[in-house]
Amino acid sequence: MYRGKARVRPGRRHLGKGQPPPRAPGAVGVRGAMAAAAAMAALGRSLTAALRLPRARPELPGMALNLYHKNLPKIETLHQVKFLHTTVSRRGLEEFFDDPANWGEKSVKSGDSWNIKQLRGKSSEDLHKLWYVLLKEKNMLLTLEQESKRQRKAMPSPERLEKVETSMKNIDLVVREREIALRLLQTGHEKPVPGEWRHDFLGRTFWYSYKEWPIPWHLNKKHKKKRFYYLPHVNHFIRLRLEKTLRKRARQQSLERTRRKVLERKFPDVAVKAQSQ
Amino acid sequence: MLAVRPGVPQPEDTVQFRVSMEMTKLDIRNYLERIYNVPVAAVRTRIQYGANNKRNHRNQRVKKPDYKVAYVQLGQGQTFQFPNLFPEKEQDAETRSFDDFRDKFMEKEEQKQEGDPRRGGVPDWFGL
Repeated sequence: MYRGKARVRPGRRHLGKGQPPPRAPGAVGVRGAMAAAAAMAALGRSLTAALRLPRARPELPGMALNLYHKNLPKIETLHQVKFLHTTVSRRGLEEFFDDPANWGEKSVKSGDSWNIKQLRGKSSEDLHKLWYVLLKEKNMLLTLEQESKRQRKAMPSPERLEKVETSMKNIDLVVREREIALRLLQTGHEKPVPGEWRHDFLGRTFWYSYKEWPIPWHLNKKHKKKRFYYLPHVNHFIRLRLEKTLRKRARQQSLERTRRKVLERKFPDVAVKAQSQ
Repeated sequence: MLAVRPGVPQPEDTVQFRVSMEMTKLDIRNYLERIYNVPVAAVRTRIQYGANNKRNHRNQRVKKPDYKVAYVQLGQGQTFQFPNLFPEKEQDAETRSFDDFRDKFMEKEEQKQEGDPRRGGVPDWFGL
């Protein structure tokens, strides 16, 4: 696709400059609109409490943190944007810790992680805000995990950490999708840097991205020494490599099947329940 | 980035963090000031070497990962003390019943270990 040898590298473009995110025409249906409406309704809640229960912490009994209202005006002087804040909480270091009501609990209730369909309906600005909410949540959970390890106690609801990480991964995927769509519109290329699939001397395939060279390739001795092809006698070894990966995968799959069967034989009632779902 | 309870007692305006290896002092300062709105006076960092003295079942060395530790001094006279995240709460009915059940079970097990009290100390293997 990209045959140009030395193409000018298109600059990395930022999203959220006013262009709406391009979407597939079939993607917007009644269901999509309903999901979007529900998601927008949920956004207000979600931004303040991404995976936690909505909280109210008027007083912090156990924490000796000198971050109360008398200090807040001093902090504000550091930042220019003051009058735009609506829901952003100014709790400082307390955000590294969970809601004091949840301290010492065995389990903490949490919602589901953000899936990619919900996130596709959000604007880039919302995604940007949600990213920071999730980042703070992740830091809080990591702090809790480390403290639980230190005190040798079970971490309350450790699945939250996984949920936050899934959500962050999904946000990343959505942003990348939008970047690619925008690049396709503006430059017609999917990749930021043009390149092509090449083989090395062992027949392994890899992505070779083009770059600008100071001298033409036929004068470049070092580049001419590189071999982007393989000889026919390598075919045998390519076949062996393929067989090895296939065998490894088959072995893993059979192991998984056996494990499943053993579990089903041991716990037949659970197996029936799992199949009926 | 995660806040940790300092192992060595720190001054009351100092907070200890574990940060990713790539973060510099300036990064840490910007991170805390921009994202968390915390005034930062000074940042010091060090790299903690993860222990390499453990061996696995094949007698290979197992390395624990290194990590970066940051000591952040708060500005504007703020102080910080690491809270107790696992305070003792009064137990609910379920935990209490579980504890009772466990205690009874352990008593019974101990009784079994001692043997039948009616045999008067005569060992099990003696008799029909």
